[in-house]
Amino acid sequence: MTEPVWGPVHRDIVDLLADHPADVPAVVDHLTKLQDLLVRLPPLEESCPLADFNKLYLTITTSVLDGLYDDRFADPVFLSRLDVEFAARYFDALRLWTDSSPGCPKAWSCLFERMRGPDARPLPSAAAGVNAHINFDLPFALVTTFDSLESEPVDGTDQHRDYLEINNIFADKIPGLRRGYLDRWQLLIDMLNGDIDDWYQGELIEYTRDVAWRNAQKIWRCRHDPAAHECERARLDDNAALLGRLLLSPLGAFLQ
Amino acid sequence: MASDVDTAPLVGRADLLTAVRSALLDDVAPGHTAAVFLTGESGVGKTRLLREVGARLRDAGALVLTGSCLDIGDASPLHPLLQALRRFDAELTAAHARTSLAVRGLLQTFADETDGAGALLERVSRGLHLIAEGRPLVLVLDDLQWVDRSTRQLLLYLLAGLGDLQLSVLAAVRAESLQGAHPLRRVLTELRRLRSVRVLDLAPLDRPDTERLAAAVVGRPLAPEAAEQIWRRSGGNPFVVEELARDLRDGRDGLSDTLREIFLARVDALPQPAHAVVHAVAAGVEPVEHWLLARVVRQPEDELIEAVRAAVAHRLLVGADDGYRLRHRLVAEVLEHELLPAERAALHRRYAEALTAAPAELHQARLAHHWRLAGEPARALPAAVAAAEEAERLHGYAEAHRHWSVALQLADTPAGGPVAVDRATLLEHAAEAAHHCGEHARALALLEELVAADAGGSACARHIRRARYLAAAGRSAPAEAEYQKVLEAADCTPRERATAAAHLAELLLHLGRYADAGRRAREALRLAARVEGSTSEVVLASAALGFSEAYLEDPDAGLAVMREALETAERAGRPEDVACAYLHLAELLTGPLNVLEEGVVVARRGAERVAELGLGRTYETRLLAIATNGLFRVGQWAEAEKVVAAALRHRPSGADAVELLLARCRLSVGYGDIEAADRDLDSVATVLAGGGARHVIPLLTLRAGLSMWQGRHDLARQAVQRGLTESRSDDVGILAALVWHGLRAEAEAHASRTVAVDQTAVRRLREVAERVARKSEHAARPVRDVVDGFLALCAAEVSRLDGNDPELWARSVAEWDRRNHPYPAAYSRLRQAEALLARRSRSATAGKLLQQAYQVAQGLGAVPLTSEIRTLAGRARVRLEEHGAVGDAGAAAGPDGDELAVLTAREREVLAAVAEGLTNKEIGQRLFISERTIGVHVSHIFDKLQVRTRVQASAIYLRSRSA
Repeated sequence: MTEPVWGPVHRDIVDLLADHPADVPAVVDHLTKLQDLLVRLPPLEESCPLADFNKLYLTITTSVLDGLYDDRFADPVFLSRLDVEFAARYFDALRLWTDSSPGCPKAWSCLFERMRGPDARPLPSAAAGVNAHINFDLPFALVTTFDSLESEPVDGTDQHRDYLEINNIFADKIPGLRRGYLDRWQLLIDMLNGDIDDWYQGELIEYTRDVAWRNAQKIWRCRHDPAAHECERARLDDNAALLGRLLLSPLGAFLQ
Repeated sequence: MASDVDTAPLVGRADLLTAVRSALLDDVAPGHTAAVFLTGESGVGKTRLLREVGARLRDAGALVLTGSCLDIGDASPLHPLLQALRRFDAELTAAHARTSLAVRGLLQTFADETDGAGALLERVSRGLHLIAEGRPLVLVLDDLQWVDRSTRQLLLYLLAGLGDLQLSVLAAVRAESLQGAHPLRRVLTELRRLRSVRVLDLAPLDRPDTERLAAAVVGRPLAPEAAEQIWRRSGGNPFVVEELARDLRDGRDGLSDTLREIFLARVDALPQPAHAVVHAVAAGVEPVEHWLLARVVRQPEDELIEAVRAAVAHRLLVGADDGYRLRHRLVAEVLEHELLPAERAALHRRYAEALTAAPAELHQARLAHHWRLAGEPARALPAAVAAAEEAERLHGYAEAHRHWSVALQLADTPAGGPVAVDRATLLEHAAEAAHHCGEHARALALLEELVAADAGGSACARHIRRARYLAAAGRSAPAEAEYQKVLEAADCTPRERATAAAHLAELLLHLGRYADAGRRAREALRLAARVEGSTSEVVLASAALGFSEAYLEDPDAGLAVMREALETAERAGRPEDVACAYLHLAELLTGPLNVLEEGVVVARRGAERVAELGLGRTYETRLLAIATNGLFRVGQWAEAEKVVAAALRHRPSGADAVELLLARCRLSVGYGDIEAADRDLDSVATVLAGGGARHVIPLLTLRAGLSMWQGRHDLARQAVQRGLTESRSDDVGILAALVWHGLRAEAEAHASRTVAVDQTAVRRLREVAERVARKSEHAARPVRDVVDGFLALCAAEVSRLDGNDPELWARSVAEWDRRNHPYPAAYSRLRQAEALLARRSRSATAGKLLQQAYQVAQGLGAVPLTSEIRTLAGRARVRLEEHGAVGDAGAAAGPDGDELAVLTAREREVLAAVAEGLTNKEIGQRLFISERTIGVHVSHIFDKLQVRTRVQASAIYLRSRSA
């Protein structure tokens, strides 16, 4: 038999992933436990590229949780369900990767492949994770959340404002993590929030940050049509994977 | 499914089969429900497992109904259930005439009119009850990823136990489908936390099982290279393993790795007539009946049978009693690229022609589907309209909306020729269906189109309609503007203006703008006075006025208006108006006015009245829910229990069901009946998994309360934390109750030393409590009243973490006494006594407090509270008097010397039944409460009468009767 996917921490990760967190405090707890396991993954340990992303994601989710406790959002029901649904997709990708399933999104597998090396710089690694999570996972998480709340993605609503507030949290946390690289980060964030096409076309920042929202609206309209929905899924996955590979290539290191 | 081809043995699933069987049958207590959801990739063997488990459950005596969901987006509501029933009916022999009659009766239900989706659910569950004839019922559903919304709601309803059926659900879901934005994802996230639900991921086979399966297919052990190759190429997917092994056995040169390649090779090898058959089935809606296939392929009978045989032998097709299906979805995808568009259109045309001549299952939906793909929009249109109307009859507005949308598209197709249906009518219907199924943006867009088409109709009616859609979408500001337009427009009728003003008043009330609401309500009443037959507007406006007055501290004025509205409604005689008037009046009394006794009387009288008027299912249920909650708060628990049982006999669904289950659970938590409370909480969670966030916080609050009685302060903390992150800060009343539970959990953890106190949690809870206090300062008096009681409890619980100040508890006692809520008052007395005793001061006062609390707790039947009081009294050597006149709430005390005076009304009823010699189960059936609750009552009775057997208890009962 070949070596298990997660090496010496395989059993622990499988056990952790068997649980499906259903509220935001549980998601934070889950990410914390995952972080402890990822940094024990040889050979890279502390510098595991996935751990770089997970750490950033944990920081951001913790901020969201604090925001929920502090009454920062207009519609906490929407936001907490979105957060849980959003995280569930990351955990799903990890589960599929664990099972060596061909169904693992390409957007994620390009980062997971690098877990055992060669080493990638922390900044592009975290960025590749953010890319997969925002450009691929987020639109679908939005649609599922709206569906379950019997609501819909409409511009200018409380829910839209709360959603944009999360963008602010991302923006808050990322420069804090990367002091001194603000300009490049800004460029990266703008790029991440859009398709590569949008990036090349130099669309407005406000617009590109909203791409996941726009994509969600697009999926929303075709959600009852399995073929169109699958087509959209494949398109987003391909785009995100393309950008992810770019970030993890030697080219991505320029960001550092 | 009877396939002509030998089936491979089931390998590597023995443990799973046993586990699923016991989860669905053996471990399910009578009257309970259970569900197993199997997820897994294509070809991993989900359908096969469903079949095997189904057969086993059938052998074990269960009634198994099997259906599958369809992937045509425009299916009809509840299709899988209908299909399952038809299949079952076809299997029944003459010996089962009675069952067959029941099945036909249920099938008829789907053809009849019912008033509302809830009534349909009730009738379906009654029908299933008749069919089951006391056997456990198992619903097996394949391809659940394509389930329609109505079926999804039905499943949750039945699983929540609302249908009063012992039911298990076994369903298969394709894992790939769940990856996108599938609505089932959220449903499964919520359901998988329940004890009665299991979500099992079906993994591929491991290496040894792969080899075993391959060897079984080939008929001999495999050579190591061959085994290695199959393992490598199949990845343990049983479907692929089987196909590869078959190729190996038959000496075919298998170069194909993937299922797609395997099927491609098969299709290529097919003889021509069989080729045609496979293409025809691929274009049809499965299962394709034999007669239909014959008309579509147009081959002589003998040749057709020959061709079908060949397709089955090549393992591309499967045949069953109800028709043919492709062996795998991938076959359709492979075939798709083989046909020219014209060939495909021709196939669809033949289907449509054949179906026009002879009606079949899903008739209209299939006709619309085939005519559309045949490129005949004009002929598809009437079928789409008929399918939409059919869906609306079954209250499946999501499906209806899709059919209407298809109809619109068809009407817009240029090649369509003359269209028989008016486009404006289609838009009208589509918009209304979209509104009903919650597609608000779409409803508004359709309405815009209708306006642009200038289809006539008054501008005012359109404003009202737009406002209605906007309000439903939660977009209050634009909704308000639309109503304003109606009120300002010169050409609106007085009737329209009255409607607009009344609805605007209601909207403003929900936004908390009480003064504006009152102003608009008065305007509406003024306008309505001049319009004949505007009772609905009068009732609506009066309610808005009544509530706004209550919030603005002139309760009497509001109450008078609401009473008058009831009289107006009674005079006018429209049942819905009468029911609404009762409902608002009862809500006003038990809500902001806190006149509980009167509110309960009104609610119960209203319930009787609306039952007479034929609105039992809907309004009676809601009124009884109000009565139950009022009775709980004034401490008449036995009565509340009776009322809630009566209400649940209507088998309500949706929000009504949730209200009642929460009310019953509140009682069970108070009684300390953990199992009953747990069950109700799981039922509520099941219903809420289908949508509806409003009830989550009360659910979590009760969960926390229950966990504390169980000593699980950590679980209580988790429930509260989830609640804090999912509640809006303007729901101050609900939030205050939740925060109290959180602080109490920490205080109990501190006192019991079982769980460490979470200081971060305490800090956060105190912050939220402060925020609630700040917000409620500006709130209306009635809101502040509710909040103040809980905040007093919060402050006292905080002090319990550090010193425990009896003064704070005394304040809480005063708050709750003032509001006439004996239960929290008794709890506060217990804590005040505890705090006093801990300071070793004024033990006489403590004793008195304990005595009072004890009296109330006993009267209520609040077992856990009673036992805490007893424990403390025991420690403090306070002797608790069993008989006494202090603080008697709820228990109807008899004359002096009556030995039964210590019993509550409910306990006396139970005792009377015990004396008749009934068992707990029989008593439960008679009094409509669970056997378990009867057990709790009986033990209270023994306790209070100080007896140990039923005979002794009966003797006391008979003695006191004859006295």
